[in-house]
Amino acid sequence: MAAIKINNLKKEYKDVVAVNDLNLEIKENELFSLLGVNGAGKTTTIKMLSTLVKPTSGDAFIYGNSIISDDEEVKKLIDISMQETAIARKLTVEENIEFYAKLSGQTKEETGKSKRYVYENFGLDAVAKKQASKLSGGWQRKLSIALALVSKPKVLFLDEPTLGLDVIARRELWNTIRKLKSEMTIILTTHYMEEAEALSDRIGIMKEGKLLFVGTKEELFIKTDKNNVEEAFIEIVAGESVNA
Amino acid sequence: MRRIFTLTNRNIKEILRDPLSLIFMVALPLFMEILFYFLFHGLTSQFEMKYLAPGIVVFSQAFLTLFTGLLLSTDKNTSFLTRLYVSGTKSYEFIFGYALSVLPIAAAQSILFFLVGGIIDASIFGISMLFAIILSSFFTSLFFIACGILFGSICNEKSIGGISSIVIVGQSVLSGMWFPVEGLSGAMVAFMKVLPFRNATTLIQNTLNGINSGFDDFIYPLIIVLIYTVLVFITAILVFRNKMKEK
Repeated sequence: MAAIKINNLKKEYKDVVAVNDLNLEIKENELFSLLGVNGAGKTTTIKMLSTLVKPTSGDAFIYGNSIISDDEEVKKLIDISMQETAIARKLTVEENIEFYAKLSGQTKEETGKSKRYVYENFGLDAVAKKQASKLSGGWQRKLSIALALVSKPKVLFLDEPTLGLDVIARRELWNTIRKLKSEMTIILTTHYMEEAEALSDRIGIMKEGKLLFVGTKEELFIKTDKNNVEEAFIEIVAGESVNA
Repeated sequence: MRRIFTLTNRNIKEILRDPLSLIFMVALPLFMEILFYFLFHGLTSQFEMKYLAPGIVVFSQAFLTLFTGLLLSTDKNTSFLTRLYVSGTKSYEFIFGYALSVLPIAAAQSILFFLVGGIIDASIFGISMLFAIILSSFFTSLFFIACGILFGSICNEKSIGGISSIVIVGQSVLSGMWFPVEGLSGAMVAFMKVLPFRNATTLIQNTLNGINSGFDDFIYPLIIVLIYTVLVFITAILVFRNKMKEK
C-alpha cells in the first residue's frame, strides 16, 4: 500500500523552481531517503508534504488525503522533526513529552504510555527530570525526534536528523531510527551518504528540484557501476542521468 | 481551548524559569519602587507612592514586551512553532497561548507593586487600588503583550532585545513618571499625549487616586491606550499569520 503518492508536485518561488514536477510513491513502513546538494529541493519537498508550504501545482496524498484539500486530515497522520532542535528548552524532558501528548489530545493514561514508549526507544528516562536546555546536543536532538513520535504518526518526516552530531551520537540515533522502521513510514533527508546507505530501503536523489534517481542502493550501485552511495551520488548528480 | 491552555501553561513555565525575566520583571522594578520612594518622596510629588506605584506597575509591564517577544522569536527560530503548526495548532491558538500566559504575570506584578506601595504608604489602600490592579492587569498590560507578539513575529532572538528596548525606554522616558511633565515644552507634552506610554501611566495613576470624572482624566487615556492596543494586536496577528504561512 502506498503511504505517500506524489503527482506532478511543483513549487516555484518568484523565478526559482525549488521542486519541479515531482512524481513518487512511497510504500507503507518504508524508510525513504532524499539526497541532494544544498538547494536541491529536499526540504521544500518535505515542507509541502507536511502541509507547511502550499505547492504551486500538482498534489500529493498521504494515505489518500490530499495535502492541499485535506490538510487537516494529513496533519493527524504525520509529524516532523526539522533540522533545528525544536524543544521547549525550559521544560524538563518529561514535561516536554507531556506537553506534546496534551497537544495531541491524549488522556492521562495515553500520556503515560507515550512516556514509556519514548523512554524505551530513546533511553530518555535517564534524563527525564532534567531541563531540556541542560542536556547535551545529542540528547536534545534525541528528544526533538522523540517528540515527533508522541502523536503516534503514521508518516514521520526527518529533516537532517543527525546534522551537527558527533559520530557516537549519530550511530545511537541510527539505531533508534532502525527500531522505528517497522512501525511507520519515514522520509529522511540527509547530507550524510553513509546515513542513507545504512538506513534506507530506497533512495531518491534530487538536483535543482528534479528527481534524478529512485531505487534501492543496490540498483543505484548497478546503475552507476560504483560500490558506495557517496560515489554513486556524485556520479548521478555530476552526470545528471535522469531516471526518475 | 485544550491547545490554548496547554500552550499557556508551557509558556508560563518557560518565562518564569528564566532568571533574567524575574530580575527585570520583578526585582528591578521593586528595587526602584523602594529606592526612589525613600530617596525622593519628600522632594517632589512625582515620587509620592500614589504616583510612583502606578508608574512602577506600568513600567514593569514594559518588560512583558521583551520576554513575550523573546519566547516567541526563540520558538520561531528553533522550528518549535513549525512543529506545533504541523500538529494542527492554529494561528489564533498560538496568539491566545502567548497572550494568556503573560496576563497572570502582569496581574502578579500589579498586585505585588501595589501591595508593597501600600505597605510603605498605607494611604493608597482602598477600593480604588483594586480597580487600578484590575485595569493594569487586564488592560494596559495587553498593549505591551501585543508589542511582544508583534516584535517576536518579526525579529530573531538577537534583535528582539534592541527592538523591545524602544518600548521599555519609551515607557521610562515618555511616561512622565520620573519627572514633572509641567516643566516640558508644549510640543513635547503634545507628543506624549498621542503616545500610549504617558496615557497608560496616567490612566492607572488616576484610577488609583479616584480621579476619573473628567474626559481628560480617564476617558482620553483609556481611548488612546485602547486604540494602540487594538492596532498593535491586529498588526501582530496579521504579521504572525503571514510568518506562519512562510514556513
